[in-house]
Amino acid sequence: MTPEEALTRLGESTGDALLDALRTFCGDAVEHGAPVVVPQGEPPLAEIPVPAVIVNVSYVDGVTGGNIFAMTRHGVQRLAAAMMGLGADEAGDGDELSELELSAAGEAMNQMMAAAAGATSALLGDQIEIGPPETRFFESPDQTADAYELTPHVVSVPFTVLDEPCRLVLLVPNAFIVKMSRALSDLEAEAAAGGIRTGGGVPGASLRRVPVRVWAELGRSHMPVGRAVSLQPGAVVDLDAAPDDPVQLYVNGRRFGSGRLLLIDNEWAVRVDEVLPSTAPTTSTRGGID
Amino acid sequence: MARVLVVDDAAFMRKMLGDVLSKAGHEVIGEGTNGNDAVERFQELRPDIMTLDITMPEKDGLTALREILTLEPAAKVVMCSALGQESKVLEAIKAGAKDFVVKPFQPDRVIDAIGKALA
Repeated sequence: MTPEEALTRLGESTGDALLDALRTFCGDAVEHGAPVVVPQGEPPLAEIPVPAVIVNVSYVDGVTGGNIFAMTRHGVQRLAAAMMGLGADEAGDGDELSELELSAAGEAMNQMMAAAAGATSALLGDQIEIGPPETRFFESPDQTADAYELTPHVVSVPFTVLDEPCRLVLLVPNAFIVKMSRALSDLEAEAAAGGIRTGGGVPGASLRRVPVRVWAELGRSHMPVGRAVSLQPGAVVDLDAAPDDPVQLYVNGRRFGSGRLLLIDNEWAVRVDEVLPSTAPTTSTRGGID
Repeated sequence: MARVLVVDDAAFMRKMLGDVLSKAGHEVIGEGTNGNDAVERFQELRPDIMTLDITMPEKDGLTALREILTLEPAAKVVMCSALGQESKVLEAIKAGAKDFVVKPFQPDRVIDAIGKALA
């Protein structure tokens, strides 16, 4: 897992969590694009729409780092209206934002980042806490240059909220990305060992490259452990399957189907006849006492 | 109907909660914007019940809750949390909070939580 892959994954999972939270206010009128890892040395907020209302929510426990969400003035007005259950045509349209509108933007970000922190906590296995939101208004990109403490890594995710361009910018310190890379590598290793952990916001595509063990089981036998440990070369053990019974197929200990043994070029092969529903896998007892 | 103290750092949330509570016939007797406010306003106003946000500046809701319950073990407090703060909510309930509502909240859920905590 490279830092860039981990950063992209962080951008995806945080973006998805924010998307879910925003949908509670805006319905389907919100979407996000692909995360972009900002090259080191480039200004992290260069792509934000200005004038912009920027809400920053920092992690305060578990990890460190900043999470910035930049919205246009109209974006804030529309979001505030949506949060109050009003239609877009009832949103404010003045040049000045009211305290209530700014507060709504901060509260939305607080709820979005709490959801994102929950998803990241599940992935890292550590509880991550967020601080209260800090809301600021910027007239030009120059004003944003020194506004936030820079970090070695930056991920930028474009959003559209109620037809207004917005942007999520994650300011990520080294320690966070090391922790994230380790957690993702552990997750993939766990998947490879057969114990695929669900949840945590990890896309299934990332697991598709993980190598797994596949085996076929001819049959089984049951016997007392005393007899099993006293088996000698030459002993014959009856299995519970007939010669024409299907063999059972397993992936990393989970039964996923059955098939027929074939001989192809003097090597055994299996033709898959049945695949079980993925929701009800059966675990192999191979290697244990049965 | 109850005298309610509403504590949340977001003016937006204080207004939304205040509107919901007022429409249900409760009286919002005061507001606070952080954990220090929560403790001070509780001592000053002695509300029948209070709503308390978890993530706030200066002093968070969980710390404020513990201080309030030390001052008044029978205090009735309903926590407000965002999704993803389940562990904090659990801590708050263990500490003595009567109930919690998750933001973005449904008005019915707020009224239900207040009603049950007062019962």
